[in-house]
Amino acid sequence: MTTPLLITLVLLALYGLYFAARVARTDADPGTFLDAGQALPGWSVMFLLPGIVMAGYGIDRHLFLVGRFGLQATHVTVGFVLVAIAALLVFNRLWLATRVANLYTPGEALGRYYGSVALRVAVMALGLLFALPFAADLLSSAARILEAATDGIIPRVAGVWLIAFSLAIPAIVGGWRATVLVLAMESILLAVLLPGVAVFTEMTSQGDGFPSLPIQVADGVLWDRIPGVLQNSAGIGKSVPSGGIFTAVGIASTVIAAIGIIFSPATLYLGQTVRAGRAFGVSTVWMTGGFATGAMVLAVPLLVARMPDGSVALADDLFAIEPLAGVGLLLLNLVGALLAVSFFVTGGAVLVTRELLFAYLLPSLSDRQQRLAARIALGFAYFIMALMAAFSPFVSAVAASVALPLSVQMLPAILGLTFFRWISRGAVLAGMTIGVLIVVFTEPLGLILFEALFVELPWGRWPLTIHSAVWGLAFNVSFVLLASGVTLRAPDRLERDRLHDAMATHQMNNAGGRGLLWTLMLLWGFLAYGPGAILGNTFFSRPIFTKVEAGLGVPSLWVWQILFWLFGVVLVWWLAYRVGFGQTSEDGIKPIQLGEARAKRTPDWLAAGLARVAERPARLGARRYSAEPAKGYAKRAERSG
Amino acid sequence: MANPNLTDRLDRHALVMAIWTPAAFVVIALLHMGMTGGGGWWIAAGFAGIISAFAGHVIVNTVLKTGFTAGETALGVFAFAVALVALLLTALLASPDVVDRVFIPVGLGLVSLVIAVVVYMVIAFGPRKAFEKFDVIRDNNLRPASRLPHRGGRR
Repeated sequence: MTTPLLITLVLLALYGLYFAARVARTDADPGTFLDAGQALPGWSVMFLLPGIVMAGYGIDRHLFLVGRFGLQATHVTVGFVLVAIAALLVFNRLWLATRVANLYTPGEALGRYYGSVALRVAVMALGLLFALPFAADLLSSAARILEAATDGIIPRVAGVWLIAFSLAIPAIVGGWRATVLVLAMESILLAVLLPGVAVFTEMTSQGDGFPSLPIQVADGVLWDRIPGVLQNSAGIGKSVPSGGIFTAVGIASTVIAAIGIIFSPATLYLGQTVRAGRAFGVSTVWMTGGFATGAMVLAVPLLVARMPDGSVALADDLFAIEPLAGVGLLLLNLVGALLAVSFFVTGGAVLVTRELLFAYLLPSLSDRQQRLAARIALGFAYFIMALMAAFSPFVSAVAASVALPLSVQMLPAILGLTFFRWISRGAVLAGMTIGVLIVVFTEPLGLILFEALFVELPWGRWPLTIHSAVWGLAFNVSFVLLASGVTLRAPDRLERDRLHDAMATHQMNNAGGRGLLWTLMLLWGFLAYGPGAILGNTFFSRPIFTKVEAGLGVPSLWVWQILFWLFGVVLVWWLAYRVGFGQTSEDGIKPIQLGEARAKRTPDWLAAGLARVAERPARLGARRYSAEPAKGYAKRAERSG
Repeated sequence: MANPNLTDRLDRHALVMAIWTPAAFVVIALLHMGMTGGGGWWIAAGFAGIISAFAGHVIVNTVLKTGFTAGETALGVFAFAVALVALLLTALLASPDVVDRVFIPVGLGLVSLVIAVVVYMVIAFGPRKAFEKFDVIRDNNLRPASRLPHRGGRR
C-alpha cells in the first residue's frame, strides 16, 4: 500500500504547489498576499467551511471515539448543525463590521471595537495556540498513521517533516488565497471519501454490517444509547462514568466546544476575507449543516463497525480488494489532518504577522516588504510547528486540548461585537479571564501542572461529564452579565454604539417570525443534543405512548439522530434564507472610523525594547549609510567646481 | 463573469480543478475495480462519476456565466480519444475473457459520455446552434458573400 499512498500524497503536494505558483504569478499586487484582497471567491468558503469543521473536530479522533463509545459519540456530530448556525450568525455580522469599520483581522476587530490591546493579544495568543500545539498534535497523529500504513518505511518524525514541508511551500509561495483554494479542493475530497469509502466497505465486506453488527465498544459502555442526562463523576482520570462519557449534557457541552472551531482566529479571518455574495448561506445550510453533518451521522457508524482493529487494518483489507479504496480510507484520515494543519498554521502565521509585526513592530513596511516578512513568518511557523510535532508530541497534545475550549471563551466578546452592544470591555476581559482559568483547570494542562507542583485536585478532566468549554463558559457568561449590568453607562459605550448603528443601517435581515424561530431553535437544541436527547434511546424501539415494541432493525438513537439532523437543516435554512443571514452585500456601506487612528509608528515602549536589543548595529548602519552619500556629494561638488 | 480578469479566471480554474480532482480519484478507483474483475456495475458507476463531474462543470459555467475554455475542450477530446483507442486496442489485443468483461460496459460508458455532451449542447445552445458547432462544411466557403444572412451565412 506504500507506493500508491505516497504517489497520491505527492500528487496532492504538487496540486498545492501548482496553485500556489499560479496565484503568485497572477496576484501582481503584493498587498493581496495576506488577505487575498478581501475577495476570496465565495465557493472556496462554501466548500472549505465544512472541511474545517470536520477536520478541526478531528476525523481520526472521531473514528476512534465512535469505535470506543458507539452511537453516543456519533451524537456529537448532530451538533454540527449548531456549529453551522454559529458560523452563519458570526460570519455575517463580522463580515459587515469588517467592511463598515475597516477592521481587517479578528484581533483588530475586537481590539478596536472594545478599545483594548489586551483583547488583541488574547486573539493573537489563541491564533498561536491553534497554529502551533493544536496543528502539531494533528500533524503528529497524521504522521503516526503514515508510519503504520507504510509499515515503518516512513517513520513518524520523517513523516512530520515531509508533510510540514509539503504544506509550507504552497503557503509561502501563494499566501492566503492559494492556501484557501487548495484546501477547498481537499475539503471536497473529504466530502467524497467519507461516504464513498463507507459505501464501498459495505458493498465489498463479508457478513452483515451496521446495524446488524454492533459497534464493538469496551465492556460496560452502552454502544447504542446515551448513558443518562448527567453523571456524578469526578472527571476523566479520577473516576470512570458508567456506560460512557457522552451523557446528554456531555454531548451538549462537547458540541459547544466544537463551536470553538468557528471562533478560532483563522476561521474568523476566513469569513472576513470572502467577497460579498451568498456563500455563507450555501456553506452553512447545505454544506456544513446538510452534507457534512449527514455524512458524519450516517457514514461513520457504518465504517466504524467494520474497523474493530482500527483504520489501518481496514485499509489493508480494502487494499486487497481495490488498492485505491484502501488508499482512500487512509486519505480520509490524513487529508483531514493536513487540511486543519495547513489552515490553522497559515492563518495563525498571517494573523500574528499582521497583528504584531505590521501593527506594532514595523508599521511602516511597504506592501512588498510585508509580503517578504509574511513569507519568513510562515516558514518560521511551519518550522516551529513541525519541531513540536516531531519532538514533543505529548506537550503538543496537552496544549492542544485547551485550544477549542479556550476559543469558546471568545463567545461573549464576539457576541458583543456582532449583536449585543451592552457587553462592555471590562465585562469581556473579566469573563474571559475567569473562563480561561476554569478551562485550564478542567483540562490536562492545568491538572498536570497543579498536581505536579502542589496537591492532588479532587476533580479530573470534564467533571460531571461536562466539557471544560462549558465549565469555563458558564463562569465567563455569568461574569459578563454581572459586569455589563454595572457598566451600562460606561464612557466607551459611544464607540460601540457607533459601530452597531452603522451596521443597523445596512442590515439585510428580515425580522419577521424570529420569535417562532428562536422557540423552535431552543426546542430543537433541547431534543437534538440537549437533555431531551435521552428520549432518543428508546423512542423508536419502545415508544412511550404504547406498550408495543417496534422492530425497526436499527438503533432508536440512530433514527433520532437522523431525524434531528434533518430538522436542524430546516432551522439553518430558515435563518440563512428567510431571516437573511445567508447573504452579504457591499452596496450602500458607509465606512466609519472606529476608535483611535491607526498608529503609524512603533509604540514607544516597544521601540525602547527593540532598541535595547538592536541599538548598536542600528547606529553603525546609520553611520555607514549616512556617511557614504555625504562623501559622494562632496566629490561631485569638487568635480563641478 | 462578462470580462473576467486574471484572478477571476484563476478562481474559476481552481473551482473546476476542485471538482475534477476528487472525481478523478473516485472514477479511477471504480473503473479499476470494474476492469479487474468487479464487473460491469462498477464500470457504470465510474462513468456515472465522470458524468456527475461534467454536470458540476456545466453548473460552474452557468453560475459564473462562462463556457468551456479551449484547453478544457481539447483535454476532454484528447482523453476521450485515448479511451476510445485504448478500448479498440483492448478488443484487438487482449484475451477474449478480458474483452468479454470490459468491452461492452466501457463501450456503453463512452457512448453515454457522448450522449451527455450532446444533451448538454442541445440544452445550452438549442438544436440548431449545437449542430452548427460541428457543421464545418458551411464554414469552408471562404467567399465574403457567403457570410450574408440571405445566403445562409452566420459568421
